[in-house]
Order: sequence, then C-alpha cells, then structure tokens
Amino acid sequence: MVLKECTSHISYIQFEGLRLSSKAIFMEDLAQAALDAALDIGVSFADVRIENSTTTIIELNDGITRQSVASRMKGAGIRAFIDGAWAFAQTTDLTATGMRTTAESVAKLALATREKVNERFVIDGPRFEDKVKLKVKKPFDKVSIDEKMQFVKMIDEQARDFDDRIVATRTIYGELTSNLLIANTLGTNVTLENSIPQIISVPTAKEGPNRQRIQQSLSLRSGFEEMETEQAQNIGTKAAELAVNLLSSKTAEGGIYDVVLDPALNGVVMHEAFGHATEADNWPAHSTVLEDKINREVGPEHLSISDDPTLTGMRGSSEYDWEGTRAKKRLLVKNGVLTDLLHSLETSSRLHLEPNGAARAQSFMHVPLPRMSNTFMEPGNWSVEELIRDTKNGILLCSFNYGYTQSAKGQFMFQASHGYMIENGEIGVMVRDVSLAGNILEVLAKIDAIGKDFELEAGVCGKDGQSVPTTTGGPHARIRQMPVGGM
Amino acid sequence: MKEELLTIAESAVKLAEKLGASQAEAYVGQSKSFSIEAENSAIRNAEEKRDAGIGIRTVIGKKIGFAFVTTLAKKDIEEAVTRSVKLAKASIADPDFISLPSCESSYPIVKGLYDTNIAELSSEATADMIIRVIDASKQSLEGYGYAIFAGVQSSSGMNAVVNSLGISFSESRTFILLYSSPVVKETDDQTQSYDFQITRDLSEIDPEHVGRSAAELTLSLLGPKTIEGGDMPVIFAPLGAGTVLGRGFAGAVSAEEVQKGRSYISDALGDSIASENVEIIDDALRAAGLGSRSFDAEGYPSQHTAIVEGGVLKGLLHNSYTANKDQVQNTGNASRPSYSGLPSIAPSNFILSPGRGTLDDLVSEIDRGVLCRNTADTPNMTTGDLSAMLYEGFYIENGELKHPLKNTLVGINMRNLLQRVNMVGGDTKVTLSMISPSFVVETATVTSG
Repeated sequence: MVLKECTSHISYIQFEGLRLSSKAIFMEDLAQAALDAALDIGVSFADVRIENSTTTIIELNDGITRQSVASRMKGAGIRAFIDGAWAFAQTTDLTATGMRTTAESVAKLALATREKVNERFVIDGPRFEDKVKLKVKKPFDKVSIDEKMQFVKMIDEQARDFDDRIVATRTIYGELTSNLLIANTLGTNVTLENSIPQIISVPTAKEGPNRQRIQQSLSLRSGFEEMETEQAQNIGTKAAELAVNLLSSKTAEGGIYDVVLDPALNGVVMHEAFGHATEADNWPAHSTVLEDKINREVGPEHLSISDDPTLTGMRGSSEYDWEGTRAKKRLLVKNGVLTDLLHSLETSSRLHLEPNGAARAQSFMHVPLPRMSNTFMEPGNWSVEELIRDTKNGILLCSFNYGYTQSAKGQFMFQASHGYMIENGEIGVMVRDVSLAGNILEVLAKIDAIGKDFELEAGVCGKDGQSVPTTTGGPHARIRQMPVGGM
Repeated sequence: MKEELLTIAESAVKLAEKLGASQAEAYVGQSKSFSIEAENSAIRNAEEKRDAGIGIRTVIGKKIGFAFVTTLAKKDIEEAVTRSVKLAKASIADPDFISLPSCESSYPIVKGLYDTNIAELSSEATADMIIRVIDASKQSLEGYGYAIFAGVQSSSGMNAVVNSLGISFSESRTFILLYSSPVVKETDDQTQSYDFQITRDLSEIDPEHVGRSAAELTLSLLGPKTIEGGDMPVIFAPLGAGTVLGRGFAGAVSAEEVQKGRSYISDALGDSIASENVEIIDDALRAAGLGSRSFDAEGYPSQHTAIVEGGVLKGLLHNSYTANKDQVQNTGNASRPSYSGLPSIAPSNFILSPGRGTLDDLVSEIDRGVLCRNTADTPNMTTGDLSAMLYEGFYIENGELKHPLKNTLVGINMRNLLQRVNMVGGDTKVTLSMISPSFVVETATVTSG
C-alpha cells in the first residue's frame, strides 16, 4: 500500500515535469507525509484535504460601507479509518512535521474508536489523478478593489433610485477563490480550483406602516465577468420593483389550494422535500423515509428529478468531489422511480453501489458528507400559460425565503417570498409570506402537471452545520391540494 | 497561553496603526473541541478540532476594513492586517461611525464559565457518556424498530480582544453538549425527535435523563394526524419559544435592525408592545450561562439589560456602533462568530421570566388548541408575519393532549403574538437560543391538511 502510494506520487511529478511550481510539490509532499504517517499507525484508509482559499465581501447599506471583509482559509483536514471507525482532525500547521503529527493522532483516535463500533466495513473506490484548472475570463485578483466597490455602489443606488418608496437598501458582493488538493490512500490525487462571485440586492419598500423587504441574487461559477452581464448589472432595479409591488400585496388566507410553483420555488421544493432524503448516509443510519424505495415508484411517471454537478458555470458544479471522486450526473428520480442516490466513498462502499462524487465539505475544517450540487426537476410538456389556465382556483407561488426538511419523518416546510392568487385560470392579486408544509411521498404523488420552461437559481444548502453553494431550479409545476399557511 | 494571545493581538494592532490605521482592533480566538458521534445506535466517528485565528478591524477616519485568517502564523497575520487596511482605504466613509469602544468602567466577574473537568475530559470518559445516553434511549424503546443518533461534544476556548483605545482582555470558557435523537419506525409511520443538555458544568450532565427523555418524546410523535383548522389557542413549549422569541423577537430588538427600520417593532421604545405577562431580560452576567461573558465581542463590559417589563418595551440591544449613533449607553451586546467576522448584535442570555405551572397545567386550561413543542420558523423581521410549521406539534382537546400533528401551520403576526400571551408557565428550560418556560397565545390561525 505504502509502496503503491509512493510510486503514484513519483509518476505524477515526472508527468508534470518542469512545469511544476515548487509550491505544488510542497503541497503534494505534505499530503503524502500525512497519508504515510496514518498508514504507519495501522489504519486501512486515510485522506487529506489541503485548502487555500480567499474571500472578499463588500456590503453597503444605504450607500455606506457596512462591511468590507477579506479572509484567507488555509489548512488541512485529515481523516483516518479502520473497520467502520472514522476519526478526523484539522491542522493549520502546514509543515511536514505538523501534518505527520496530526495524521498520527487521527490514526490513533480511529484505532481507539474501532473497538466501539458495531458494523464493520471497508472503504473502497476508484482512484483518480488529475489537476483541474478552472478557466475564467476575469480572475478576481485582476479586478481592483475600487472597481468592485463601484459595482456594489452602483447596484445600491439603482435600487434606491427606482422609486421614492424604497426607504432602505442593502447590497452585498462576495467572491470566493479556492485551491484544493485531495489525496487518499487508494491513490487518488486531485487538485481543484473554484471561483464564485455573487451579487445580492435587498431593498425595503415602505408606504404608510406597510414595509416590505425582498432579496434577489445572482451567483455563478465564474470570474468577475458574470457580474458584468445585463442581468447582474440590473439586479438592484429588479429587486426594487418586486419590493414596491409587494406593497400592494395581501396576506394569503390559510387553506388547501392547488399550488403552481415557479422554477425557483420548484427547485427548493425538490431540494428540500426530496433531495435531502436521497443523501445516501441516510441508509446506513436508517434515517430516510425513502429507505425501502430504491428502484421503486416514488411519484408519477411524468416526474424526473436530477442532481447534476457537471453543468458548466453553476455554483454547485465541480469536476471532482471533496473526496477526489469524479462527479457524475445523478438521475435521482427517472420517470417516477427512485434510481440513484448521492454518495460519498463511505456510502458507496457500505451499500455496494457505484460512487458518483457527491461528497462535499464546507472547508478543510469539515468532514465531507453526501450533498446535493445543482438540483432540479426535469422539464415536462405544459406551457406555463396552459398550466395557469387549467388551474381553476389556486395559488402561484414564487421564489423563496427559506425551507427545511427532516428526512426521517419526510416532513418539510418552505416559505415563498411572494405569489399570486389564481382565479378561474387567471392570475389575480399578489400575496406574500406564504408557507407550504407537507410530506415528501404524499406531495410527489400530487404533482400532476409539469411545464416545459426551465430556470436555475443560486442557493446555499446547510446540513450538520456545514454550508455549501448550490443551485436549484426546474420548470413551473403544479401540486394538487396542498396545505398553505397564511395569516 | 492567555498572555500569548494578548501579545499576538497587540502586535497586530500596532502593525495596523503603522500601516495607516487611525484605530485598530484585533480579536484572537483559539479553541479545542472533541466530539464523538453515534449512528444507528453505535459509535461511528471521533473528531478533534483545534482552531486558532485572528480577525483585524482597521479604521481610517470613518472608513472601516476587516480581514481574518485561520492561522496565527506571523506571515499570515501580516497579510491579513495589510488586506484589512487596504479595504478600509477603499471603503465608503460611514458618517455614523464615531469610534471603537474604550473602557471607562470596571469589568464584572462572571462565575462558572470555565470547568477544568470539561477542558481535561478524556476520550474514554466522553465515549462512556455517549454509550450511556444510547443505552438509556434503547431501554425506553424496547419493542419498537429504532435507530439512535447520538453525540457528545466538549469544547474549551479562549478569546482575546485588543484595541487602540486600551481595551485588552481575554477569557476562557468551556461547554459540553450531549444529545440523543432516535428514529422510530412503525409499519406505516416513521418519526424522529431529540433531547439534549448543554452546560458549562460537567457535573450537571445526566446521560440517563437525556436518553430516556429523547426516546419518550419520539414515541409521543407516532401516529400524527391533521385536524380541522381555525382560530384557536397555541402553547409554545420552550423549544418552540426559543425559536419564535429567542430568534424572532431578539432579532427585532437589535438596535441595528431598529435603526435601519428593518424591525417590526421600530419606534416602539416605551410603548406597550406585549401583554402584562411578558417580562424579558438579556443577562450576560448569569452564572455559568451559555451566553455569559465578562466582556462582549468588542471587549466592552457585560451587563444585565431589561428588554420588556410589564409588556412595555424598555430597551434595545446595542453594540458600540449603534450606541454611539443613538447617543445612548452601550449594552455590551456585540457578537461575532469568533475571529471570522465583524461584530454584529446578538442577545447573551435572552430570558423570558417564568410564571407558574407545568406544561400539563397550561394544557389543562385549553378546550381546543395546539401545542407547538418545536418549530424552526422565524417571522418576517420587517412585517412580523409568522407562519410556523409545527415541527413537533400536538392537538389539545378538553385540557388533554390528544394526538401529534402533521402538515400543520400556525399563522400570526408577532405584534399580536406578544399582545396575546395570556399565560406563562414555570417550566423554564435552557435552549440554544434562549432561556424560556412554556407560554400560551390566546388565539392564532391554525391550518392543517
């Protein structure tokens, strides 16, 4: 095992030849030092993630800097495994000694934990060697801090200038640049790059005692160029218009409705109501209502749901996951049947299924877990107009404030940011603060019409205290007879 | 160690001043935590985390920058200070910024923040605790299909705050968290609940109680039903209260939200905003409190602040920025996620004063209503509209809990919720977001289906 590791390490350096910078050799050597030290203690598997990432956040409130924050995350996370027992530790001491000491301590902890586990298993999986370069047109460090500040200022002013009733504005620009090296004792050695910009506009509109606040955001996997598109450059106006419109909205009356979801909310429903329950760590833990549903029907035949990290330029995209496994598209539901799950190396090993590269971690300080990437309902064949016209009395719900789920019960909840009543097949008054609650399996069965349109929206997903960037979306879709909470 | 952190912070402040900052502040955080987790009723993994980093806030006139790094290496700190100053230079001046805080009064002594027994807890003793909590849950679940998640985390840390105006303090704190969360399966039903204990005092930990209680709570949720909706009384038990008040009301009395006009209770200081039964304080000095500390995240002395007295809004939560802006006394409620962020405002120990009676007593007073044991929903902070899913809810009829609820939502505006609190229980519990007993809201709209 150790020998094989050394060989792959050497072949890698030879392959890269003279183009290798001294820094790259340095990181490689650190990872190897940790893996060797863990194996020497006697564990059967170990992996290392070395991260070096920077972020910049600029937030303006009413034209004034609320915060300008720069950060650097630098360190390594090391895991060791034997017979079903995992141990994890992190270190920011990126020296050969620091890596070896931490790896030894982790490996000893795994050995000590080993005696207390119930179920024994082995970690296995394919080995990947790659050095992925992410090509962006305008890297963040080529754009001056003043230019970024001007961009945020422009969006903030845009929202304020839209209408006299906009009484407060909040605008946030964020950027992440990261370099990640992942190596494990199966021989995997992958380096990844990421680059994500984000612009968020949160205006507040006021008329008399009525105040309405709304958030619009745009975020992709790219350089600064995606902040220069027409869509990004006008996001303040878009948000302000929605906030002003919300002033004349009403609170919806609670009750049972036929609900039409817009693409943004549909994506969140798929993510919350279904996606979380397909994370394969739920199976060994017996914590999903889908436990007995693999290869069985979970919804109508016209329903397909996918999670696809291979889409170009999306926030949830990555060539490899945080365990260094090549990422593939996951057809979670195909024609109503549950066909794929979201795997880490542990879950694919334990369930004897194909790994598909769904393990993600927030940073080197966290353990990779099966997570979603870009999650969406596949489009159907209804035009949006037909869908509305066919809904006699219902409610069109748009965008979202937040949502959450408990996979073991299948219970979920989400809140739309706004919506419109549908009366006799026509869009009526605007409503706000509408919540939907339901049970996964009951709700999927009630999806009876799926649009042919398609849109994706940026989001953030939290699980076990870890946040990762995601994208969610799909077409418009209708769910029959859902409980809707109002005031 | 304490001296070492202060020295690191002091040299970062000096460097910032040398690079052109008129004022600077360094926050150094260092922590060590050990945790064990169990899945499907058996131990699965152990984690040892050592975290240390520094955040530097720099001020140039009325322009502010901030940078942090996840190490305490000299080179990394220098880079962070440089980036912070650069950001301050590029910022747009904030006319409302006056100054970083200075300390003119003496500092309180808060007892029970550090327990050597927690800081020095062995991995064996930690493992023993989780095994005991699982065994206790198992005993109460005999005869059912189940899978128990459980975890224990012990943590000890130290922070140091130093600024150009003479603030230079550090403090050590510990805590331990123990929980059990069983999933129970019946033929056509599957449910999950949890119970936990979080404390700064190791001797308070009672694995048997946590394990048994978690199992009983989970069993009580089997067989949920929907009900006929309508307007009816709602009881919020401590966990539900913690979300609705601890997050949903504490956020609304943050002076920053009020100053920005983003709070649903703007311009209400001195007004009657709640029923006479409501008394809320923020007490950072409570002995061994989870939110207790002798100084806040800017190094300003901690205190006890009245928020609501006899239903009247008496005070807001301030940090140095909002207090300077309103020209009022700083309440020492600056809060930050360790070294990795700028100070915002948060409650320390947000406490609803207890009334009388157990949860059963409150239930016995209600003809037809619902109990919200837990929810994860907070109101729209601008409008106060709350639509809360009963994550764990029960139907009450003739003074008794009839059955658990599914797909059920409670809708009410926070201003009405506060005015309609007609009973407050005496069953105070410490949750992560506040210290609260159960309370009853006379009427709210319940939707179920």
